[in-house]
Amino acid sequence: MPNDIFVITEQIDGTFADISFEMVGKAKELAASWGGQTIAVVLGSGVSADAFASDSTLFINDPNLAQFNPEAYGKVIEALVQERSPRLVLFGWTATGMDLAAWLSARTGKPCVAYARDLCIENNALVVNSQVYGGKMIAEVAPEGDLAIVACVAGTFSTDAGRGSTPATSMPSPVALDELKVKFVEAIKPAGGDVDITAQEKLVSIGRGIGGKENIELAEELAEKLGAVVSASRPVVDAGWLPRTRQVGKSGLKVKPKLYLMLGISGAPEHLEGMKSAELIIAVNTDKKAPIFNVAHYGATADLFEVAEAMLELL
Amino acid sequence: MLTTIEKIVFIILALISAGFTVHGIKTIVDSVRKGRPAPDLKNIPASLLKAGMKVLFQQTIFKARKVLSAIHLGLFFGLITYAFVNLVDVLEGFIPGFELVYGGRNLAFPFLPAGIINAFNLTADLMSGALLIAITVFLVRRFIAEDKRLRFRENVLLNPKVKAGGQNTDSLIVGIFVILHVTARLFGQAFRLTDGADPFMPIASILNSLFGSSETGTHVAWWISLGWVLFILPYITRSKHTHFTVAPINLGLAKQNPRGQLDPAIPLKVLNGNHYEPGAKVLHDLPWKRVLDAYACVQCNRCQDVCPANFSGRPLSPAALEVNKRYLLKEATFGSHPERLLLPLTETVISPEAVWSCTTCYACVRVCPVGNEPMADIVDLRRRMIIDGAELDSGVQNALQSLATNGNWMSKGKRLRGRWAKEMEVPIKNATEEPVENLWFVGDTASFDERVIPNTKMVARVFQCAGLDFGILYQNESNAGNDVRRVGEEGLFEQLVEQNLQAFGKAQFKRIVTTDPHSFNTLKNEYPQFGGKFEVKHYTAVLVRLFEEGKLTIKHKLPHYKVTFHDPCYLGRYNGGFTAPRKLLEMLGVEFHEMPRNCENSFCCGAGGGQIWMGKVVPGERPAENRIREALTTLEKNPDEKKQLFIVTCPKDMIMYSDAVKTTGNEGKIEVCDLIQLVAEAVGVEESMVTEAVASGAVV
Amino acid sequence: MNIVVAIKHIPSIADDLPVKGNNIDFDSVDFVLNEFDEQSIEQAVLVKEAVGGTVTVVGVDLIGELDGVLHLALAKGADKAIKVTADEPGADSHMQAKWLAEAIKAMTPDLIFTGVQASNDLDGQIGPMIAAYLDMPYIGGVSSVEAADGTAIVTKEFAGGMAGKYSVRLPMVVGVQAASKPPRYAPISKVRQVAQTATIEKVDPVGEASAGLAMKKMAPPVMSGHAEMIEGSAKEVAAKIVELLKNRGLV
Repeated sequence: MPNDIFVITEQIDGTFADISFEMVGKAKELAASWGGQTIAVVLGSGVSADAFASDSTLFINDPNLAQFNPEAYGKVIEALVQERSPRLVLFGWTATGMDLAAWLSARTGKPCVAYARDLCIENNALVVNSQVYGGKMIAEVAPEGDLAIVACVAGTFSTDAGRGSTPATSMPSPVALDELKVKFVEAIKPAGGDVDITAQEKLVSIGRGIGGKENIELAEELAEKLGAVVSASRPVVDAGWLPRTRQVGKSGLKVKPKLYLMLGISGAPEHLEGMKSAELIIAVNTDKKAPIFNVAHYGATADLFEVAEAMLELL
Repeated sequence: MLTTIEKIVFIILALISAGFTVHGIKTIVDSVRKGRPAPDLKNIPASLLKAGMKVLFQQTIFKARKVLSAIHLGLFFGLITYAFVNLVDVLEGFIPGFELVYGGRNLAFPFLPAGIINAFNLTADLMSGALLIAITVFLVRRFIAEDKRLRFRENVLLNPKVKAGGQNTDSLIVGIFVILHVTARLFGQAFRLTDGADPFMPIASILNSLFGSSETGTHVAWWISLGWVLFILPYITRSKHTHFTVAPINLGLAKQNPRGQLDPAIPLKVLNGNHYEPGAKVLHDLPWKRVLDAYACVQCNRCQDVCPANFSGRPLSPAALEVNKRYLLKEATFGSHPERLLLPLTETVISPEAVWSCTTCYACVRVCPVGNEPMADIVDLRRRMIIDGAELDSGVQNALQSLATNGNWMSKGKRLRGRWAKEMEVPIKNATEEPVENLWFVGDTASFDERVIPNTKMVARVFQCAGLDFGILYQNESNAGNDVRRVGEEGLFEQLVEQNLQAFGKAQFKRIVTTDPHSFNTLKNEYPQFGGKFEVKHYTAVLVRLFEEGKLTIKHKLPHYKVTFHDPCYLGRYNGGFTAPRKLLEMLGVEFHEMPRNCENSFCCGAGGGQIWMGKVVPGERPAENRIREALTTLEKNPDEKKQLFIVTCPKDMIMYSDAVKTTGNEGKIEVCDLIQLVAEAVGVEESMVTEAVASGAVV
Repeated sequence: MNIVVAIKHIPSIADDLPVKGNNIDFDSVDFVLNEFDEQSIEQAVLVKEAVGGTVTVVGVDLIGELDGVLHLALAKGADKAIKVTADEPGADSHMQAKWLAEAIKAMTPDLIFTGVQASNDLDGQIGPMIAAYLDMPYIGGVSSVEAADGTAIVTKEFAGGMAGKYSVRLPMVVGVQAASKPPRYAPISKVRQVAQTATIEKVDPVGEASAGLAMKKMAPPVMSGHAEMIEGSAKEVAAKIVELLKNRGLV
């Protein structure tokens, strides 16, 4: 329908990601303005999809959709969009959404906006605010045409407005999914035996500024003295200095500790996504222009090694 | 004295010994020749002569270990004397009636004046004593006192034979040789004294009084004495005692270009159309001169003593490097394992971690008594490791990538380089826009590091105060490349040189002035090879001249400071810039005390050779911490109420030592200051500027 | 195996970005290689080293300064370099993806690598779009790739340390997040050697696509708050932090 909003939700084993609720909530706001419906779209196999406060929920139930498969999901969503002509399709700017949003845009020839932090309606037209250039710029854009695809950064809207119990309409896949080139092989769970950083009250988080694997010991000593655990930003994990189970951020874990002590992390949006709701954020970074200083509660432009060593002596 | 049979046997044995010795020498020469071409040498005979004189006066060993060096005099002059002595012994054996005892009064043909014979005998006798004392001291030092300096730490890569004590065996053999040889000869002389004591052979006479004379004894002693020589001569070609002859040769063939100019990565001379990869991977990739180094090495470990990396527990020992090279060559030539020479040096001679621990401070090269250059080997190894895509420390990789893209190692935008200058009250000229007399090459650290910028500004103000005509390149300046070259990235070094030469081309100036010793070194010594020949001065020399010309005058002297001065490696040891800073301190009227390790013997802060990029947190005492302690000990020897200062003239020193003061818990006891801060105070450049420096933490 | 790496030359975010009108001032900003493309190039070379084949690097030359980047890729192990000469500093992802897809079509690749995202992907990433234009499957967020006989096994990273293994019938497009090994260092002398000997093929931009976004504004974010900065030496900072923690019963 011409003013409807599709919200492409995400679930793993039946548990929906918070971003899905955030988007449903926001979609309802926008749909009200346009006089359209909020339609939550769930793809999966045999899961309970009655979780949203949408006007309606479409549950595409197919064993090929049990695990995320970009090819299968893309084909299904494309078919649904062609069938039902929504005005807006919302994806999460997540590991799954990032495989689908731009693809759908190229397939349909309709505009796509990524890194979205806010959407609103001005004169009946959609206006999107996105954080680009590593968070250094906010772009305000108006997608042209009758269909817009927007990928939203997680942690922007409240989840409450999106939670509900709209009964889902289960249906088979609108397209054949038997000749897929992409096959899910297996899930790789994080290596067991490592700490769960989401359950920690205190985290000492290190970034690129730590310089190398050898220097992590210093952070671990400090963490131990503080009764904390060491976590890290993506570059540290990508370089292999710490396991992925320690990664905080968009492609890592979301944490909400009482103390988040950051050493040498600049504060890129992807990292902020994972920790900005921490109760006490203290950031140490030699760059006084580091974006983290806009988010942290306390900050210092000092050498992280010197501060860590000095703290060790005092504790 | 010898029977005919004895003579024949001796000649045969001598020929065999000579054969082996010549073979040994040839093996060494062949080995050395297989090395790559080395930079050209001029006037070799003169150099060899000069080296010979240096060795004759034993100058080179006294750079360190003065007591042991004094004892070595006994060995040195003793063995030189014995060269003649042994010749005479052979003559005495072969020429009947040729006997120099008792002033030669029994000589069949008395053509030698008795005086000379007596002098000879006395010298020989006393030198025998000196030799025995010296060798005994050294053997006691090695085997009983077990001097730690002769050993290597656990984490240093060692040739298995060295680890198993090969060096001790070698020393023992030669030690026993000297003792037996000299003792036998003394006894031989003693046994020849048939008429009681010869006053010109005091030691032999004493032995004679105890053991009497004996014809048989004379023969036996002669044979033991000279038989040992025949044995030891070929042995020496396989021992560190090749240094007897190779040391003066190595010193004479030492490189003649400036200390601060690295050898080219690829030899300029190409033989037989060889294609050379830059740097070195296997032993014969090294220039022939550095293959010779292995044969000159006396394995004394003086270089290890002065190495800052070794001091802080890193697995680097320049001594182990040369010793391992020698043992590798031995295995490959005398030991018939030539295939070992095809193994990478990083497996046989020095570990990769050790290669990357070097700060390129040059202390090892400077202290070496025989002219070895272990540091140069390390740089060559780095060059090849980079080309071959060895895994690099992430800090170094980031620094190199930043240098390639931004021209500075701190990942800062090019445009930010001149920002400190734009904040000055009196604007600083842009040398690419208007001609200046002095082009001030500022350097990365002084331009970007918040801790150092206040000093940079102070230099600018003092220059302005003196009416010096100067300008900077602003964003057209790139890192001079000194440390890039020493990390082994020759290509990036060339790129930076090109960029800087281009920037210099845009400017008009009489000379280059710099506050950064690393930049000073490469601009002065290496840029000319790339077409950039300029007059380059360190700012301390400029300040001295300004004072001498009256353009700067001291308003108040600073006797309330008690200071010591740290000679930065690249200004001092590399380029001899010791006088200017001291002249300035003298003019400033501070109470000045010299640290024990000063001038050429200064102890590196540990930042060079890429170490400052590595951000590696080293366990144990860091070189800079040790240096601060040395400074405190020096200053506290003269206790008074004055403020204690550690004076530096290098931005990296500023950072390293300020840090060390904190980490050693000495804040409040000693402050690290750049010389410019004292100059500014004495000249009366505005006080507010000094307070700014204090506030930003540059002055601790 | 015929491997293609599609790279993106993007405005550098090292300094503050200049703005002109309602977008970035593309004429006065420096352009650099997308950092994820460094991973993508490395992963491509690793696959080539494992199974053999050729790696072709292709990018849109927006401001005429792409050669240096292409030389670097060649020095790191790529075999061929192609640039789409566009001279359009402000070209959006859709345009670039279209031009790249057209240039890549003729190469009949088995594997196409791109960086998983770029900081200027306002209208989406080029990887999924190239896949859509070439009708190939796309998987992004990949941290390892193994390829053999017409199939690739890729590992896709999800949030929270989870990952998924997928088997894909080639050809496909991969959005690389991290190569299975950190990108190697290419010595400058090698890059310069390459710069002297290599030829970069030039192609004209073919095809049209548009982001379809009307730019209304581009400005730095208005910061609602700022951290309370702790001044002083490292020792003083440490002391204040410890005090803070003690006051809150955290230590």
